[in-house]
Amino acid sequence: MALPLAYTVRNIAVRRASALFTALGIAMTVAVFAGVLSLRAGFEGVYKPRGDTNLAVYLRPGATSEGESGLQREKVDILVKERPEIARDAEGRPVAAGETFLAMFLEKLDGGKTNVPLRGIQPMSIPLRGDALRLVEGRWLEFGSDELVVGRRLVTRMKDCQVGQTLVLNLTPFRVVGVMDSEAADAGEIWGDADRMMEAMQRPSFQRVIARVVPGTDFAALSAQLEHDVRTPVSVSSEREYLGKQTTATGGMLQILALILTVIMGIAAVLGSVNTMLASVSSRTHEIGVLLAIGYSRLSIFTAFLVESALIGLIGGALGLLIALPFDGIETGMANWNTFTDVSFAFTLTPALALQSFVLAFALGLLGGALPALRAARLRPVEALREL
Amino acid sequence: MATPWLLAGRHLRSHWLRSGLTMLSLTVAMFLFCLLISLVTSMEAAVSSAATDRVIVQSKVSLFVALPKDYQSKIEQVPGVEACTKFQWFGGYYQKPENYMAQFGIDHGVFLDMYRKEMGVLPASAATQPAELAKLEPADDARAAAVAALAGDRRAAIVGEALMATYGWKVGDTVPITGTIFTKADGSAWDFNIVGVYRPLKSNVDPNTIFFRYDYLDEALQAHAAIGPPGVGCYSVNVAAGHDPEAVIAATDAIFSNGPQATLTTTEAAFQAGFLSMMGNLPFFIGTIGGAVVFAVVFSVINTMLMSGRQRLHETGILKALGFTDGAVGRLMIGESLLLSLLGGGAGVLLAAVMDTGIKSVLGTMVPAYHMQPSTALLALGVTAAIGIVAGVTPAIVAARLRPTAALRSEG
Repeated sequence: MALPLAYTVRNIAVRRASALFTALGIAMTVAVFAGVLSLRAGFEGVYKPRGDTNLAVYLRPGATSEGESGLQREKVDILVKERPEIARDAEGRPVAAGETFLAMFLEKLDGGKTNVPLRGIQPMSIPLRGDALRLVEGRWLEFGSDELVVGRRLVTRMKDCQVGQTLVLNLTPFRVVGVMDSEAADAGEIWGDADRMMEAMQRPSFQRVIARVVPGTDFAALSAQLEHDVRTPVSVSSEREYLGKQTTATGGMLQILALILTVIMGIAAVLGSVNTMLASVSSRTHEIGVLLAIGYSRLSIFTAFLVESALIGLIGGALGLLIALPFDGIETGMANWNTFTDVSFAFTLTPALALQSFVLAFALGLLGGALPALRAARLRPVEALREL
Repeated sequence: MATPWLLAGRHLRSHWLRSGLTMLSLTVAMFLFCLLISLVTSMEAAVSSAATDRVIVQSKVSLFVALPKDYQSKIEQVPGVEACTKFQWFGGYYQKPENYMAQFGIDHGVFLDMYRKEMGVLPASAATQPAELAKLEPADDARAAAVAALAGDRRAAIVGEALMATYGWKVGDTVPITGTIFTKADGSAWDFNIVGVYRPLKSNVDPNTIFFRYDYLDEALQAHAAIGPPGVGCYSVNVAAGHDPEAVIAATDAIFSNGPQATLTTTEAAFQAGFLSMMGNLPFFIGTIGGAVVFAVVFSVINTMLMSGRQRLHETGILKALGFTDGAVGRLMIGESLLLSLLGGGAGVLLAAVMDTGIKSVLGTMVPAYHMQPSTALLALGVTAAIGIVAGVTPAIVAARLRPTAALRSEG
């Protein structure tokens, strides 16, 4: 015979203050868990592989990110014009662009400085990205002039990033003429004409070539072949693979942080919930004696208390998500340790993360309830009945 | 009548399981609290321990834009400049990419003297085992020997003691470092000969760095034996005694205001604060989590004290019937709560203090200067005491207001 769920629910209702305090302990654990991981989800979301599987990134051999890479202009020109794997557009032009990349000092609106990715582009850079990239304000920059287009996420975080304002790059003033947006890292970058950038910065080299390649290109074979090319030694990877490698340091750090915090806070929360459930058992000793005497099995007593604890856990999970929810969508920035630049993103509480949080809360509740439930199930009816 | 303090301990003991569990959760929480606060203070310590008589000259545009080599002689002419060394970030690893550590190319003629206050040179020889380094004390003749050894060998390098221990290196060893920014044309690694071991004397110096001769790198680039960006990442400048660093900063930036690369000269403290600021709002972020930890454990203690109070209604009635005042009964409840939280939280603070060096070695190069300040321990104890008082207040008020007759009627 199993005890009805209503019995368990009423028990919680009777001891609501104590149950609530326990649930709040679990809620804080869940909130921190969900908070840190939604930070990670937002950060990694920026680097999520996009729809286009045919984008290739060419870097100097040995470089793992654009910041480390360097490609001379002649090599970029050869690559763009001559590589047979690069697709052509309707007019027969290669869909490829040489790009410069630099982590530039920029003042944050809330004080302090950070390194913002500054990208020098060629005309093909924009159509290359397809529909994922869109202009949300102003216009695209004119090639040959000192103009910039700023990523949407930077406008609200950095100084001098609004349309009409001016950013001085080394000695040359550049005017912001537009704001672009996308789901990818582009929304946290500043773009200008690559040639103008090189001149302003006195830095006469490209960092990468990005190109659309013909479908079915074998990137590994291509890279192996080009790495030892005499004229243009480069390593090639798909953009998907390249982006995947850019999150390892910061993403891994957040993952470890979430794990450590959850384990330590989880222990504290479980201890609290053991306490509550022990009190719940000891104050109902007489009642348990009655239940045992009228024929309820030890298993059903055990289950009833375990369910009670798990329910408190779920309440805690719901409260924790309520605490974490307001963070969802808040724009923030963090250093990407792979590229040493600031990445703009928003806390992203994904449905999967919400589910994981509930599972965590449920597990914490179960853990806290196991020992007290066992104690309740082991009570001897005669002795329990003697307790008042 | 006085407060029967003895009862506070007895109460905790009589419900040992509940008290123990609550204390344990406090221990865990305050341990975490100390760890989080120490992370922030350790990172900030690097800024506050920075030298006030040193300025850093870097590109105004980016950490990654190099300054021309000929800037050095111009900087050296600025009034008030005592000495100047290049700092060139090398970005290499030992054997495999996971073994990433900092390497800097420096001017070996002046570097060790400029950083006399920050780095001590250990009298280590080829016979010194890595484990024995910790027993050595920095010495001036060791510094002089290292300067001479650097001058005598183009590939010479000075290595931090923590790095020596990590890889089991010895003085005299040649270590191959693969460059990610500077690559040898033949694809081989760069060889550095270890001629000296340094120990950081300040918390803003990383014990995991290799300092090597800039001219070794530069000559390889000039000879096209290696590929990499030209120029110098930044210059570090010691300001002579009696000169104002701000004047040196203004004079330096004025020289280069028309390019080719505009400079941004800052004090060492501002330079290091810049790195901290780059990490985003980390201190705020960690502080929020620390707050959540404290918040969570407060509920746990309140819960315990409420339970304790409820179970003692009858006993409180007896105390009152015996003539103990409302105040005494209330104080007893707060005292018990305080004792409970201080025992538990105190253990957590103690644990964090004992594990200080252990945590430091786990964090490794992420936070090289990790250390729990005494002020952090005091803060944590203060927070613990506050938790105890807050948790004791409600049951104390209930106990103080209790009418003895009603209480005695309740079940024991």
